[in-house]
Amino acid sequence: MGRYARTLATLTIFAVILGACAGGAPTGGSATQAPAGAAKPAYGGSVVMALENDVIDFDPLRSRAFVDRNVHYQIYDSLVRIDDSGKIIPWLATKWETATDGKAVTFSLRSDVTFHDGTKFDAESVKWNIERYMKTTGSSRAGELASVDTLTVVDPATIRFNLKAPFSPLVAALIDRAGMMVSRKAFEAAASPDDFTRKAFKAGTGPFMLTEAVKDSHMTLEKNPSWWGTDKDGNKLPFLDKITVKPITSSDVRFTNIRTGDAHVANNIAGKDIPTAKAESGISYAEKPALSFRSLIPNRAPGFIFSEKNYVKAVSMAIDRKELLERGYFNLGAVGYGTLAPAHFAYDANFKPYEKVDAEGAKKLVADVGRGPLTFDFLVPSGDPVTLQIAQLIQAQLKKADITANIQQLEFAKILELQSAKSFKDLTFVGWSGRIDPDGNTYDHIYSKRPFNDSSYSNAEVDKLLDEQRATADEAKRRDALRKAEQIYVVDDPARVWLGFGAAQLATSKKVTAPPVYPDQIVRFHLMSMAK
Amino acid sequence: MGRYILRRLVLMVPVAFLVTIIVFVLIRLSPGDPLVIYAGEERDEAVLAQLRTEYGLDRSMPEQYVSWLTHALQGDLGRSLRTRQPVLEALLERFPATLQLGFAALFLSVTIALIVGTLSAVYRNSPLDLIATGVTLAGVSLPNFFLGLVLILVFSLAVRIFPPGGYTPLLTDPADNLRHLVLPAITLATASLAVNLRQVRSSLLDVLGQEYIRTARAKGLRERSMVLRHAFKNALIPVVTVMGLQVGAILEGAIITEQIFFWPGIGKLAVDSIGGRDYPVVQGFVLLSAVSFMVTTLIVDVLYGVLDPRISYGSRRS
Repeated sequence: MGRYARTLATLTIFAVILGACAGGAPTGGSATQAPAGAAKPAYGGSVVMALENDVIDFDPLRSRAFVDRNVHYQIYDSLVRIDDSGKIIPWLATKWETATDGKAVTFSLRSDVTFHDGTKFDAESVKWNIERYMKTTGSSRAGELASVDTLTVVDPATIRFNLKAPFSPLVAALIDRAGMMVSRKAFEAAASPDDFTRKAFKAGTGPFMLTEAVKDSHMTLEKNPSWWGTDKDGNKLPFLDKITVKPITSSDVRFTNIRTGDAHVANNIAGKDIPTAKAESGISYAEKPALSFRSLIPNRAPGFIFSEKNYVKAVSMAIDRKELLERGYFNLGAVGYGTLAPAHFAYDANFKPYEKVDAEGAKKLVADVGRGPLTFDFLVPSGDPVTLQIAQLIQAQLKKADITANIQQLEFAKILELQSAKSFKDLTFVGWSGRIDPDGNTYDHIYSKRPFNDSSYSNAEVDKLLDEQRATADEAKRRDALRKAEQIYVVDDPARVWLGFGAAQLATSKKVTAPPVYPDQIVRFHLMSMAK
Repeated sequence: MGRYILRRLVLMVPVAFLVTIIVFVLIRLSPGDPLVIYAGEERDEAVLAQLRTEYGLDRSMPEQYVSWLTHALQGDLGRSLRTRQPVLEALLERFPATLQLGFAALFLSVTIALIVGTLSAVYRNSPLDLIATGVTLAGVSLPNFFLGLVLILVFSLAVRIFPPGGYTPLLTDPADNLRHLVLPAITLATASLAVNLRQVRSSLLDVLGQEYIRTARAKGLRERSMVLRHAFKNALIPVVTVMGLQVGAILEGAIITEQIFFWPGIGKLAVDSIGGRDYPVVQGFVLLSAVSFMVTTLIVDVLYGVLDPRISYGSRRS
């Protein structure tokens, strides 16, 4: 509760500052260049973003890392995007319509868009991009577009996706990299796809153009002067001339760079630094619950301890999620019990199955199984003291219910390997970065034999409900099916132990007016301007 | 001398060869599948299998090694599994930054060690000697990652003289390059400075106690020229040995220091590629380090001859 109040307070302060700036009297700056009475934010200026690692792939087709998307969102436009509440909004596609049988979705496209290299964006561009994502060997996007059968160019401003079967999360899949449009000319001009992914210069239609990328040093994004977007007051976007992105892996150093003013923007601040970020006068800090979840993954395959569902439930009952959030995560994020996050349309704020810690109930469940006390191995990645502390906190909480978790520290690479092979012993500690459609947070993790179903979970009723919600475009029906399924895979026959949701953060120097925080944590630089 | 250097250079080849085999096997024995690691949240078995074939990771280890070696002999160290950048390009792109940082640190460490070490040997047990000894002890005990953060907090946040990390190429803006260089160079120099300083001090003390120095002193030679001309050069042999070994330590320290100051050298590349099992990059990096280290020891050996004419390589046969 306290956390929400604080977040709300932060956001309110934020709104006040934004309002003040829009009113032509920015705090700490002068509005001399703006004509009297104009609500126009200042054009020009350059900012530095401190990113937690270097971008690996500029090509959306290959990209596998979260850091990549921070740059992708500036240089590429997708067919659709989300607003800051998580609602899907038109982007390159102005509107879309699902056929009555659900097996086709037709998108109307903007006709005033050109790529950075001067080529025109139209339905043919969409067809080429989507087919490239679907058909290239080793494409990381193939899975997200698996429901698509063929594409039909209806006219230059209209494209139809023909689906193999009705698939309601399709539009949501096009928000991110699977819906990003790359210039065919820029791609084909590169010596090889291996080169393109490292040097995708002027290859998108987005508000900024990638003009320089020096590995482990910096990336330069320059303003796209002919971007199509405007803000709600009709001002042409973007305001900034240049963004320099610097990869800084150490969170301490990243934060210091924000404090010294050497960097202006960061979206990953360590929990321990948040009080300083909030207190420091030169920094604005805001956060909101994100789409990511934190979870413990039991190996539910036959032959492993947690094939017994009551054991999974007992662990879930014995964990004090509120304490974990406060002491383990420095209040960053929110308490949660399943995969449906607050920004999802299917989220149920009243779903709190393990709100009260029930050590006695857990003891009883273990006793009912009748195999003596519950003792298991808990695999924790080595090398990260914060994760270890959280694991130890969980260990201590379980101890109160006479459950013994033996922490085994293994290299992250080793844990991944064991998890992929489904041969890990007992319990691992792995989260998920979150997807805007609840299906992306759920289906592949819970449905029998799907790629991220690392607990080897299988429940026929859950599978049926998850298929149902994919097949209907009716949001109310989807919500019901997803919530029903969640009750089963969290409580009745638990697939995992969920601990809560992460938070999207944004720390900015007061030298810039910050855009709102988005649940996907990615900074909307096209809405940012210099404060003075 | 020329023959000696040539022989040493030829000897490097089998050593480098052995190093590549050891690294090749070790990195593959360590658990974790690079493709699974890089797949992150895009773990699709079918895609991974395609990539495994494309990158040749499905072949047997000897097969992979022979293929790597054949290419390496033609100057092609392969491509990074993670970024698909040619390994040689990745190393060459970053090596100048590491080299600059390493040289700056070595220069700082050696200069200060020689000056302060000499002074504390000549004025032993003076306040200066005590302070120098105390500071060196602290220097050896402070790990890089801690010292780096402290320097950033003091000189970038409290007193804002130097930037908290980053890099500008020397040729683009020399002044800015140097500003960025100061803190990481001090961080990296500290530990090796301590070792070098103690070595200079004890070795000079040793020489100063020898009979020829007493003779020189008895003959009325001035203290100053006695120390600088007679004692100093003779004290340098063990010092040069230790400094040569320090190059290895500096390469190693650079890995951590580069991370803290996001200095875009090969250190960060090494950390990323070892953690991610990026086989070709690790192999290239270790090969480069091994060669750098061998070249340094060769330079040290040649320096012996310069410092002490009695050490001659040309005449000996073995």
